[in-house]
Amino acid sequence: MLESAVLARCPSCRNTFSTDHGGRQNCPSCGKPLLVPETEPALQAEIVPESAAEPVGTPWERRAELGLLSGWLQTMQQALLEPTRLFASARLDRGADQLGFAVLTSSVFSIIGQLLNLLLSSNSDALMQQLLQMTPNDSPMAPWIKSQIQAAQHPSLARTLLPLLAAPVIAVVFTYLNAAVTHGVAVLIGQAKRGFPATFAACTYATAPLALAAIPACGSIIGVVWLIVLTGVGMKVTHRISSGGAAATALVPYLLCCCLVAIGGVAGGALIVKALGMQQ
Amino acid sequence: MKAVTERAGPPAVHALGLAAAGAALLCASFVVPLGLFDCPLRAATGIACPTCGCTRAFHWFVRGDLAAALRASPLGTLLALACLVHALWTLARLFGLPYALKLPQPTRLLRYSTGFAILLNWAYVALS
Repeated sequence: MLESAVLARCPSCRNTFSTDHGGRQNCPSCGKPLLVPETEPALQAEIVPESAAEPVGTPWERRAELGLLSGWLQTMQQALLEPTRLFASARLDRGADQLGFAVLTSSVFSIIGQLLNLLLSSNSDALMQQLLQMTPNDSPMAPWIKSQIQAAQHPSLARTLLPLLAAPVIAVVFTYLNAAVTHGVAVLIGQAKRGFPATFAACTYATAPLALAAIPACGSIIGVVWLIVLTGVGMKVTHRISSGGAAATALVPYLLCCCLVAIGGVAGGALIVKALGMQQ
Repeated sequence: MKAVTERAGPPAVHALGLAAAGAALLCASFVVPLGLFDCPLRAATGIACPTCGCTRAFHWFVRGDLAAALRASPLGTLLALACLVHALWTLARLFGLPYALKLPQPTRLLRYSTGFAILLNWAYVALS
């Protein structure tokens, strides 16, 4: 038994965890066996005092003491206004908490945005009709647009509820895909200094601007741009890498999926040109 | 077997999340039809982008046509296989399998080899 709880670092996954006893035990993160020395922890490389080694945790990770709403609000405030402070305080062994923050923030505001879109659907119907007129009949897009117009004209409870219920599932999948691709790029260019949990912390707290998804139309676009910037800041702080390396790890994944962004941009631009042409 | 696996407890939250994301990609490949969108880079310049062919590779992979998947994108097929293996292995660990797949350390040689493989794949997709 050690005199007080200490932090041990797993030599396999590099995660740290708190323990009050020495000897053989399994890492709670990766499950691999490891040996925590019993004596003179100050002299052991694998054992460090808790106060010096581990960040205190973000307000969301300390929501048990701060309260759920206060923890979430403070985390949002720090993510949007003081991101360096937030990422520096993130604990890498709190992946489940970080996932909870990302899912809560992105899905709740996505649901609010979808409900607002439903209320304002008359304008989007007109846009879809214009898009259908511009799309060739043999395009694979045409049946999809027609189905969307039909769905808008004959709304059903299932069609309305399904996207709302699926929002948290989509948020989990998006969070992990984003983190996996970002970490893959970071590994490829040699910038993944502290493992997947560090990338995951950066990617989850970077979803804070997705609260803007509640604003119809432009909110999501601004939110995604802000998310990319925050991912870069987060990667720099959590992996302790240079600004250039962080920018590369944050931007390359979006460069890869620029196809979808470009399609959206071209379709939006064409609609605007068409609308302007109609008014003249 | 020891070279690619190691003893481990139940899967951690990140292993579960990544397995769910991989499974979601494979399921989506069943639903999303091919040809819904054209790659804008290819449409504008005639040059394929580095990820061109991945959608088709996933599409054919989940339908069991490995030859068509490999023709579309060899690395895309490998990625689809990795998603499937990770999802199934994590499921098995949830049901008590005490082994985890061991990932290789990202050495410089491995990173350069991966970068080279991506370039080769891009050249193959661009020329085919």
